Amino acid sequence: MIDPSPDAEIIELIDRVGRREEAALRQLYDRTSPRLFGLALRVVRQREWAEDVLQEAFLTVWRVAGDYRGTLSPPMAWLGMIVRSRALDLLRRRTADRAQLTQEFDELLADTLESDSPNPMDLADAGEQAWALHQCLQQLDDKQRQVVSLAYLRDLSHSELSEQLKLPLGTVKTWIRRGLEKLRVCMGHFA
Amino acid sequence: MNIASPAERLELLAASYALGTLRGGARRRFETLAREHATVRAAALIWQGRFASLTELEAAALPDAAVWTRIRNRIEAEKEAQALARQRQAAPASAPAPRGWLRSLALWRGASAAGALATVLAVVVGVNLRDELRNAPAVRYVAVLQNDQSAASVLVTFDPKQQQLTLQRLGDYAEGADKSLQLWALPPGGAPRSLGVLDRSPALRLAAAESAVRAVPTLAISLEPRGGVPSERGPTGPVLFKGALIEKTL
Repeated sequence: MIDPSPDAEIIELIDRVGRREEAALRQLYDRTSPRLFGLALRVVRQREWAEDVLQEAFLTVWRVAGDYRGTLSPPMAWLGMIVRSRALDLLRRRTADRAQLTQEFDELLADTLESDSPNPMDLADAGEQAWALHQCLQQLDDKQRQVVSLAYLRDLSHSELSEQLKLPLGTVKTWIRRGLEKLRVCMGHFA
Repeated sequence: MNIASPAERLELLAASYALGTLRGGARRRFETLAREHATVRAAALIWQGRFASLTELEAAALPDAAVWTRIRNRIEAEKEAQALARQRQAAPASAPAPRGWLRSLALWRGASAAGALATVLAVVVGVNLRDELRNAPAVRYVAVLQNDQSAASVLVTFDPKQQQLTLQRLGDYAEGADKSLQLWALPPGGAPRSLGVLDRSPALRLAAAESAVRAVPTLAISLEPRGGVPSERGPTGPVLFKGALIEKTL
């Protein structure tokens, strides 16, 4: 292919990592770590923790890259799942620090409401499905988008969201339900 | 909210399932349905795929350059450990398979307060063979013990001629007046064995037979009450430093 799509390029790197090519791991890291680090930061909220997450995620990639082909996932989504899962591992280990996290959430909610929608240039590596999701998320209110994406990225229940965002449980449930309903209709157009 | 069709209700259930907000009994009922009905299962998979894309939509940020160094070091250390395991497996005297010490290491980690993954850094020093023959001490085993921040904290070398372990403190860690640091061998499949208690000097020598370090893949240092604890009790305090013990073969 003369001009490989970002997906094809990343898939090829993952394949080479699966064949234990360290140089390919470096290239994959250079290519994807800013995006994945952004994700880790979103989930764990602390640079130091996010760096630990990124490190563990790439060691996981090094060990399991050979299994990638069998997953049928878009490559960035697959890498994202690994990062999210390592990030959730870390959060589970740090549940003792919950109180501190809760506090940060107030600030987080304020400053991510604006920065939540990356501009199209930022999404150069996003797969087709991510594009569709991005379009549909734009139809949600900021708050709805925020609780939906936090629920998923941090694996939070309604009551955990309500606790961490200091919102009534009913409000959280309503926002999520309305958000999902809009997503359902919108994603239906892309199916 | 009144949602018209069962198909739409199913979609919303599948979406909440994939999002993770469907919990408890409702989640288990949905899982049962999904196992029994392909359409339910398909809806769940579609929504899982959609939400997985959320991980692609976060703004990028630049990690510190040290992260890559840490990743590379860990991979190097893994390769060293695997090579060592193969080498020991090949040697007639050594019975333990790599699984054995991995398992014992896992047990050990479970017991340690840190709970973090062991970080090992193998330092391979290229030494000219002639120089080595000429120069005493003959270092046969090397370990760099790291703290949980992956910072090199203690350098351990073993000289089989002198039957001696040398410990050199690298970081600025200082234990409290009522505490002592204790060095442990983590033999494959066995309980940790004490190799001695460290005093406060920057460099320390401990007598040890080669049999005490041969086939020991990992060393660790724990924080113990002053004077240390009996070997058979095993470490009682947190593990502060640990690292792979590498046999120098060149």
